[in-house]
Amino acid sequence: MISSVPATDKKSKLLVYSIEECPVCGQKTKRAFVVGDYITKDGSKCTKCGNQTRVSLVYAESSKPSG
Amino acid sequence: MSLFPSVALQVSGADTGYILYMIFFMGLFVFQFAFGTRIQVYFALSDIGRGLTKLKVMKEKSRKEAIDYLVNVGKASNDSTQRVDQFLDYVTIMPVNTDPQGIMNKIDHIVTTNNDRVRAEVTALVTQNNPVTISISENLLEVATALNMIHKIVRHYYILGKKTNSYFTLIQLQMLMPMIIQESDALLNAVDSFKVGQPVGDGIGCVSVSKFMVGKEKRAIAKDTVMAISEYKGRKLYVVKADGPMAYVGQPGVAIKKVIEEMGVKPSAIIMIDAALKLEGEKTGEIAEGVGAAIGGIGVEKFQIEEVATKNKVPLYAILVKQSILEAITVMRKEIAEASEKVVQTLQRVIEEKTKEGDDVIVAGIGNTLGVAQ
Repeated sequence: MISSVPATDKKSKLLVYSIEECPVCGQKTKRAFVVGDYITKDGSKCTKCGNQTRVSLVYAESSKPSG
Repeated sequence: MSLFPSVALQVSGADTGYILYMIFFMGLFVFQFAFGTRIQVYFALSDIGRGLTKLKVMKEKSRKEAIDYLVNVGKASNDSTQRVDQFLDYVTIMPVNTDPQGIMNKIDHIVTTNNDRVRAEVTALVTQNNPVTISISENLLEVATALNMIHKIVRHYYILGKKTNSYFTLIQLQMLMPMIIQESDALLNAVDSFKVGQPVGDGIGCVSVSKFMVGKEKRAIAKDTVMAISEYKGRKLYVVKADGPMAYVGQPGVAIKKVIEEMGVKPSAIIMIDAALKLEGEKTGEIAEGVGAAIGGIGVEKFQIEEVATKNKVPLYAILVKQSILEAITVMRKEIAEASEKVVQTLQRVIEEKTKEGDDVIVAGIGNTLGVAQ
């Protein structure tokens, strides 16, 4: 008989990134999430204009190439 | 001369095969009639049993993760296991609803009492005074409590069905098992995001409104809830969200009520942004607009917002970001995070269309604000 209890899904691994955005020139930098990161936290200096960046997004992407 | 021998004499070899064939199927029919239900009960029991084992593993894992977090990060004492086990079995008794008059206030009172108790117990357990650690501990214990309760309820019906040999109890439970396992799996997956303070899909409302709060003065307006005053094209925005980056949902209902009734603001619109469960087939990160109070939960906050909006004749608008239950309680997916830009554009359009310059507007970002400050 076919079981109605689903087998544990083979999920693709999720990689989490933090996006640092410069509030002045709008340059966005994507880097790996570090424990302690949160949205609006100050990031590193902008590589383009030298201003203080801010973490604007934290999100997860599948490590599997889509399609 | 009797009829029987003459009939028997007429049976040929081919007919014998046919009769045996008929007897076999008659026997199969009788067997199915007599034992079919028992066989199905047997399969249902083994199927539910397998699911129950999975639920037990999930329950144990979430409990262990909560204890590990409390001990390793919260620096709770090593003997806090017994306290956690007591916590998992704690029950909240909902008020009587046969006389529904004033029931929302009663539910609010009981839920607030429970939330205060959870906060007090966790604060007593952990030796760290970090609000993020305390809020994450609360959420981890809530996940462990939910999985513990799901396991207990499924086990109850499994044993009851087995004891009473109740076909219908077991078949109903068997049919529900895939959904129960799926939701439990989602809850267990949430643990990984909570432990490291990553924003979850449910926090998309908070992510969107936080863009209007950055650099503005924030004030606490209700328990775990903050408000900032912002401006957009001549409109004064009262932006409300839970206090991040803690894993709080806050009290947006109380906050909106206070803005209108205590601060005397007469808003032209209340715009709420929240995550919404998508239907199968819908795309993650899709945006839907609507009217009404966009807020989930037990209903207390929704009731408070609807009541104050109705009393003051303030239109309620909703902006929703579609996602599955798994996506809502685990780390925010790229499609959801990137929808925040579209949400802000939608919000600006709604403000422009529904209000005029000089108006006051309340904007509320709803959801768990873990990893989303303001």
